[in-house]
Amino acid sequence: MHTEAPERKTGRLTRDDQRKLGDILKRVYDDVVRQGVPDRFRTLLDEIEGAHGRQQTGSGTPPELGREAAAAPSRMQTEHGGPKDQFNKGSH
Amino acid sequence: MTMRASVRDAMLAAVPSLRAFAISLCGNVDRADDLVQETLLRAMANIDSFQPGTNMSAWLFTILRNLFRSEYRKRRREVEDTDGGYADTLKSHPEQQSRVEFEEFRVALSKLPADQREALILVGASGFSYEEAAAICDCAVGTIKSRVNRARTRLSELLSIDGADDFGPDHATRAILSAGGRG
Repeated sequence: MHTEAPERKTGRLTRDDQRKLGDILKRVYDDVVRQGVPDRFRTLLDEIEGAHGRQQTGSGTPPELGREAAAAPSRMQTEHGGPKDQFNKGSH
Repeated sequence: MTMRASVRDAMLAAVPSLRAFAISLCGNVDRADDLVQETLLRAMANIDSFQPGTNMSAWLFTILRNLFRSEYRKRRREVEDTDGGYADTLKSHPEQQSRVEFEEFRVALSKLPADQREALILVGASGFSYEEAAAICDCAVGTIKSRVNRARTRLSELLSIDGADDFGPDHATRAILSAGGRG
């Protein structure tokens, strides 16, 4: 007969209801958080780091930076795609 | 160098939470991840404007939110992309307990106005204070508080949490009782 929706008591959420809502919200949110950091973001930041390093090497004063670069061989190797090449070889 | 490494670590540490925020904003995992990626790129490009010692996470959330807002304005017509969304994230998480509950919640969340939704997530899930959330959303603390309250009220209506003990059978019983159909 009266199809009107029952009157909602807006703004009258009890503390308990708030807690219930909060719990679900947290569960839904944390479900994503628990997935951690997808590889693409780690790779992205590594690439940006690498690009930044190269940029500095390119625009800086060559002799000193050359020595600095030599002191960090692992880093240079990564920048030149060493590990990637190895990976490609391995996968063939 | 160490400085940059610590910046990188702080950014990575914020990624899981940024993703959860992004997914709840745009309701689609792929778009959310693109949004996070854009956020990281933007942050790295503007790293000089980040003040060391301040909250890196809040700074990243601000960038992400602004990016989302400008994208949202551009694509207003296809605002709520309900395909994909949490459903996708759930597929990769078989252990989660109640898919129905999540799905129901996701739909309800997507029905909230964007400003209420983001306020609720920031305060209710991301763990920011009202003050931090206000800074992220560039509005007054009182505005955040009222948005959070309105969001809660609306969500509880959509999910029929209004005094019921729980979802489940009690909810059904109560519905019958309130409809007058006793016994």
